[in-house]
Amino acid sequence: MDNSRREILKQSLVTMGMLSTGLPAMNSAFAAGKGTINFGDVGVSDPGGDWSKFVNATGWNVNLVAIGNAPSQVLNVLIAGGGRKTYDLMGIVGGMQKPLVENDLVLPIDTSRLTNWNKHTNIKKYVLDDPNGFEFVGWNGEVYMMPTFIQGDSIGYLPEFTGHVDSYGALFDPKFKGYTAIEDNFTTTGQKTALYLKKNNLATIDDPSNMTPGEVKQVVDFLIEKKKEGQFRLMWTSFQQSVDLFVNKEVYVQDCWEPMVFAARRQGVQAEYARPKEGYLLWSLGPYIVNNPNRTPEHEEAIYQLLDFLLDDWYSAKISLIHGYLTSPGAAEYARTHPSEFTSDQAEKVEQIHANVKSKFEMPGTWQQRWPTHVEVYEEEWARFRAA
Amino acid sequence: MSHGRSARWLLFAAPIVFVSVFLLIPLALTFAISFWERTGFTIKPGLSLDAYKVFFSGVRLIVMQKSLGFAAVVTVLGLLTAYPIAYFLALRVSPRISQTCLFLFAVPFVINPIIRNFSLAYILGRTGPVNSFLTEIGLIERPLDWLLFSDFSVILGLTLSYMPFMIYPLWLSLTGINRRYLEASWILGIPPAKTFLRVTLPLSLPGVFAASIFGFVGTFGESTVPIIVGGLGYQMMGNTITSTLDVLNYPLAAAMSSVVAATMLLFLVLWYRMFDIQLFLGKITLRKF
Repeated sequence: MDNSRREILKQSLVTMGMLSTGLPAMNSAFAAGKGTINFGDVGVSDPGGDWSKFVNATGWNVNLVAIGNAPSQVLNVLIAGGGRKTYDLMGIVGGMQKPLVENDLVLPIDTSRLTNWNKHTNIKKYVLDDPNGFEFVGWNGEVYMMPTFIQGDSIGYLPEFTGHVDSYGALFDPKFKGYTAIEDNFTTTGQKTALYLKKNNLATIDDPSNMTPGEVKQVVDFLIEKKKEGQFRLMWTSFQQSVDLFVNKEVYVQDCWEPMVFAARRQGVQAEYARPKEGYLLWSLGPYIVNNPNRTPEHEEAIYQLLDFLLDDWYSAKISLIHGYLTSPGAAEYARTHPSEFTSDQAEKVEQIHANVKSKFEMPGTWQQRWPTHVEVYEEEWARFRAA
Repeated sequence: MSHGRSARWLLFAAPIVFVSVFLLIPLALTFAISFWERTGFTIKPGLSLDAYKVFFSGVRLIVMQKSLGFAAVVTVLGLLTAYPIAYFLALRVSPRISQTCLFLFAVPFVINPIIRNFSLAYILGRTGPVNSFLTEIGLIERPLDWLLFSDFSVILGLTLSYMPFMIYPLWLSLTGINRRYLEASWILGIPPAKTFLRVTLPLSLPGVFAASIFGFVGTFGESTVPIIVGGLGYQMMGNTITSTLDVLNYPLAAAMSSVVAATMLLFLVLWYRMFDIQLFLGKITLRKF
């Protein structure tokens, strides 16, 4: 018996030991040898693994490292995790200037060093010219986040069960009781709910993107009331979970991102993304330059070259096709005039994607708020909602 | 000092150093940080009780109570499931079958818990195999909503996740029982049920307690299962600690972690005081019986 016990323990330990194996996900482009730019990214800046155009042109490698998009994760990496010495760029959703700049973690971007900056008229038109848009990428009059990708979020729905949806109210409509889902995110869900309540005169909210403690409480009280009525099926926390909700018809309406609707369609589900009368939750994503005082001027120059590359038409067309974002205005034209790199269908798709996102900016809406003034009240109130 | 003595000291010191560096010092730091003060986005050393006040006066205390309740339910369910399995594997089947089964129970450990729980969510969903089957055979008219995103699915998910962990200590404890006690009971004409209650169960209690610790501690800090199959913002302590880190409230996260660690420590002390660890390891001595 002792022998068999030892044998079994050995086998079990071997099996359990396999748990601990794993490799960090890294996507590198190593070919040339001047040096490497470490680019922390939330998973959307990779042009299909092909950085050769940049590497061949500059001699610098790009080391793309997956990071989380949660504000806390970014700050934890830079403040406590030694990230200032590790990363050159942090590609995340903007709106994080307050904690990043106040802690001296990022540098302002000298846009005069970017040859593609002025060509990228979408940045000026849809971000910089809107004071709220500028606030999303800038701080004290300077640009800190380069808005490489631009998008607007609303809600997704399954028209076969809901008919046409044009309001966030569908999330709270008793007709869909038990068949709606929201994101487990105190800023985005709170903000969309606030938009709905404000635009429909159901609550007095001055600015849905930056609420006072009393306003946050109003929003959470409303959500708790709906939760207790059984309105929501669940709060999703990951991309796949949200896609599965549509694919498995678990819910008919959900607060989600447009790529989730695209993913559901690819799996044969007729899902739609609403154009809510209350407007979209607008946002932009791009890199911040991490403040590393030990960086050499050559290294800094390479970083600017990479930033310029991220505004380039080839890269923009690639990213628009992969993620459906609004990128540089020349992306569709580039795709059309380079048949060896893009098919005509792809060129047309880039054009459609751009037109779709641009139309979102014609609606009223609000820029996403990543770090509201009373962020701790948001978190505390969200904990109350979760526990209710 | 002789070579042999040095080697013995080294052997003894290595785990002590390991545990100190990787467990005790981080725990002590966590405890210390729970009293620190926040200054903007950073923290500075201090002796503030603010974090504990926030924890004990807010909604997070309810989350802790709920987590304790869930952990207790899952531990009981896990024991009720794992004990019969361990019993049969230890005392009723051949070592070969026992080996194979124990190996199979280790298989879930190699499957990523996220994938495992996504699979469970699919199985229990409104259009999943369980509801489809029940509808197909006419047992229900419409899908059962409570199968997924409910207390039921959380308890099921947690039990499935931690029950296999509980089998091993139970099996170890049961295989350590001297068969002569069971034979003596049989010779004395004691019915099997009574033998189980008077001999087997008491002798396996150290394993029961060890399994309870495995199940309870794991469940108490679990965050994946509630997120994937829990539905509406299901929170256990692991989730609520993560949530406070979202706003960089390190002292509050540290305070909650300290309370959780203290609670777990209490259970461990209880275990240590109630049961002889040698008994659990199967080194039963005649002196004790």
